[in-house]
Amino acid sequence: MDWQGQKSAEMLMQVLLVASAVAAFLTGYAMADFQLMLLVYAGGVVLTALVTVPNWPFFNRHPLKWLDTPEADRHPRPQISSTTASTGGKKKTGKNK
Amino acid sequence: MHSWTQRLLAAATTAALLLAATCAAASALDAFHVPSVEAQAHVTKINQFRKQLNGNDKVTLTFNISAKLESLFTWNTKQVFVFVTAEYENSKNSLNQVSLWDRIIPDKDHANVQVEVKSKYPLIDQGTSLRGKKVQLVLHWHIMPNAGRMMRGKMPLSEFNLPDTYTS
Repeated sequence: MDWQGQKSAEMLMQVLLVASAVAAFLTGYAMADFQLMLLVYAGGVVLTALVTVPNWPFFNRHPLKWLDTPEADRHPRPQISSTTASTGGKKKTGKNK
Repeated sequence: MHSWTQRLLAAATTAALLLAATCAAASALDAFHVPSVEAQAHVTKINQFRKQLNGNDKVTLTFNISAKLESLFTWNTKQVFVFVTAEYENSKNSLNQVSLWDRIIPDKDHANVQVEVKSKYPLIDQGTSLRGKKVQLVLHWHIMPNAGRMMRGKMPLSEFNLPDTYTS
């Protein structure tokens, strides 16, 4: 799942859950049936899980574009200098004493 | 949100939170519900009025109850517990309450109670103050909701006088 997909999955989950809770409450109140409210809500939760939990193809429509290899070679990763590494070692031995 | 387990847990947490909110809303609506109970009860017979061996007064009696309790039920009501108490005052206590009869009403279809019953539990005083005593019958109800807190209510019914002497 790409970044856009994760964002839309979270949005979808929240919107669907709130919508099913509101729908369940209204039907339960209208039909004066508490159990019906719970069943409608359970249905909404299962639907939400089916829509947002699996990694569906429509969550992968915006793949990340990585830099090409020649472009990456022109900006090498900064190297850790040997001086900082040695001071770190000294501190460790000092603590152990 | 990067893995399916994370999405499942997020959905489950949000769902549980919203379920609690829905139950709270259903329970809050009950606060605006005002029941109108109609009920009557009359003592038809004092079956037995005697002093127990341990010295306490004991009465068993028969009474009829007519109660329309449909209005206690809302969509958030699991069941209703009703009971009739005998209430009186004596020198020891300003209020004595003794439960005489009770019933669990599971739904609205059984909420119209029309019965003549012997007291399920005897009226036993802690002492000997019942002779010639004026006793008030009171109907109490406890409404047990599907979600939310239990609500109580009561209404006074008829009064009756116990005889001045023991019957046996």
